[in-house]
Amino acid sequence: MCSIGEDDFGDEGAAHAMVAESLPLGIVLSPGDCNKCGVTSSELYKLNFRTAECRDCFLAYARHKFRAALGAAKILPRNAEVLLVLDGSAESLVLLDMLHFAQTQNTFKRLHCNARVVYVDDQQVLGRYPVDMEAIKALSDQYAPFEFHVIELGALSSSLQRIKEYSPSPKETSELVEKLERLRSLTARQDFLQQQRKNLIASVAEKLQCSHVFEPSISVDLATQLLTAIALGRGGSAAMDVALLDDRLAGDVKLLRPLKDLNEQEIQFYVHAQRLKPLLQSGSRYGQERGQTASLQNLTSAFVANLQKNYASTVSTVFRTGDKIAVNAHPEQATCVQCQSAMDSDLSDTLLAIEYSRSVSEAGVGLYKNGDDLEALAKRRLEAQDGLCHACRGIQAELKSGKLL
Amino acid sequence: MPINCKSQCGNRAALKRPKTGDALCKECFFAAFEAEIHHTISSSHLFRRGEKVAVAASGGKDSTVLAHVLKLLNERHDYGLELVLLSIDEGITGYRDDSLETVKQNRDDYQMPLKILSYEELYGWTMDRIVGQIGRSNNCTFCGVFRRQALDRGAKLLGVDSIATGHNADDIAETVLMNVLRGDTARLRRCTDIRTGGGEDSIPRVKPLKYSYEKEIVMYAHYKKLVYFSTECVFAPNAYRGHARAFLKDLEKVRPSVIMDIIYSGEQLRFKDTVKKPVRGICTRCGFVSSQQPCKACVLLEGLNRGLPKLGIGKKSKGERMIAKQDQELALRERANLVKNDF
Repeated sequence: MCSIGEDDFGDEGAAHAMVAESLPLGIVLSPGDCNKCGVTSSELYKLNFRTAECRDCFLAYARHKFRAALGAAKILPRNAEVLLVLDGSAESLVLLDMLHFAQTQNTFKRLHCNARVVYVDDQQVLGRYPVDMEAIKALSDQYAPFEFHVIELGALSSSLQRIKEYSPSPKETSELVEKLERLRSLTARQDFLQQQRKNLIASVAEKLQCSHVFEPSISVDLATQLLTAIALGRGGSAAMDVALLDDRLAGDVKLLRPLKDLNEQEIQFYVHAQRLKPLLQSGSRYGQERGQTASLQNLTSAFVANLQKNYASTVSTVFRTGDKIAVNAHPEQATCVQCQSAMDSDLSDTLLAIEYSRSVSEAGVGLYKNGDDLEALAKRRLEAQDGLCHACRGIQAELKSGKLL
Repeated sequence: MPINCKSQCGNRAALKRPKTGDALCKECFFAAFEAEIHHTISSSHLFRRGEKVAVAASGGKDSTVLAHVLKLLNERHDYGLELVLLSIDEGITGYRDDSLETVKQNRDDYQMPLKILSYEELYGWTMDRIVGQIGRSNNCTFCGVFRRQALDRGAKLLGVDSIATGHNADDIAETVLMNVLRGDTARLRRCTDIRTGGGEDSIPRVKPLKYSYEKEIVMYAHYKKLVYFSTECVFAPNAYRGHARAFLKDLEKVRPSVIMDIIYSGEQLRFKDTVKKPVRGICTRCGFVSSQQPCKACVLLEGLNRGLPKLGIGKKSKGERMIAKQDQELALRERANLVKNDF
């Protein structure tokens, strides 16, 4: 039955909310007067929904977004120890450049914090062409006095090295790679890897005695993350995945996303304005080369990329929906041993229905005799004390053998 | 090599269950499908003994299976319910007139009384005439808003205790996605509820098929040889919902459990205290439940009757300006008439 307009569905069928629009991307290179400061400039930057402006005005605007994200929430204590996560993407270089700039300003405007940088070397896990280590060393010279460290994904935080002393370890398959290969689907692998990466960053931060971590996610990443979290059954903790502050990390480390209000176009312009050289193309995440139908995550990012292209404002709607949600947990609630999100608290009818389906399929016609036992069986399975949340159980279930942790 | 049914009943498997991926024989699939709906009904306490329940019947697969299963479970587990069919005739030639024939067939097959309410008698307009006024865009707004209220009116007329609708798991997961895409927090809060409405002023609606996959509903109807009507509405392929639906279908191909996971996620979403909540009230004009004053149905109807069909579409302030302009023009014309009459 056509169900538009019924209680859960849009009155308007939402036809008006999704208007096809494609916004032009690109820098207006024609020389002209800046609409903001009036100075004639050889290069004007024209962002969507903003008038054309000169390089300095654009940089001031973009940097303000970064500072405002941190400042408005009063989230970073004075002289905090900050660890910046560098992955070689354009976003991470922009974050590095902005943080460096914020530190080199005069006393009044300076961002008071002590920053270090960690590059997570994931080439072994991703099995891709190695990133140019020399380029990262050059960055560490350019952005002195930040200390640069390197850690291999899947290694222990004790093997953290200074960039100057680092050389990739000889090819031996790490435990992490083996574990990933034991997971049946790419969906589970990507989900597991994301948690592991976060856990590694938390342990590096602890080792370097950093209380805060800066992560270079921008608005479109967070829109994708929100939809992915929902598809993976992580709705209860999705708010943390997209919030400015994520405090689920072990050891009281706080993860911040100060670029969350920037969009792709601003990143592109910033890269151009500051002549930054990204070390890897976007879309080189683990497993992404296997195409969009290979995993829920790949499918979701392809979906959001398509929205971005054809219905750009829908992406920001999704991103702002993420701003409105809160975590579904109370402070004393136990957390999942794998992803550190709050455990599923009360007995959920939906989870019970999932378990009940499994039991029922196994029983078939036999269930006419023992229907009540099946419900008890489903409840027992649901209440198993494995310390995992619903979504992490999904990963565990895809493990061919052994335990997740 | 033939595969045996997973339940070890001794039969050969006839199908692969979309929800769990288990190979089952037909009988075991029926048993599992029905048991799950019974489990949903009993664990969520959807009905109480002695209640009268209206099954919202469109003649489509969902409502046909719902009517069939409810009748069957009512007898098998002795719920003690009085079931009636309630259909809404929107007045869409080539669509609803045909599907209502299917509903009448259901009435005879299942021996349930049937009540058909039409937009014509409730509002004085059929969808065919509304589309003639407003055209092909936005007509779903009218149909949807009117149907929601028409079901309430029908339920009141029949004196039922609740309305059971055929929304399935796919519909609900799709709605969660769609409301995220639209940023509609008010609907996101309640779209996963198995029971909506209720209280003193309205009749609750329940979704017994909340956890049933669309594919399984189709399979069940097919193997049970149920008669249902499967044509899209002639007026409106909904582009926006289509977008979320296509995405969900792709997700389901990758991991079938995603539908349940999305429903679960939707239930687990909580909102910051700063996010506005809609207040449910009663329309001062028609007395039916609404979160706006007057309710959407009344605004749309006023628009149709005033010859301003776009009145209820888009912003409220725009509609108010349209009314003001029309009133002004009417007043002017009246004054002109007065002047003429002076002579």
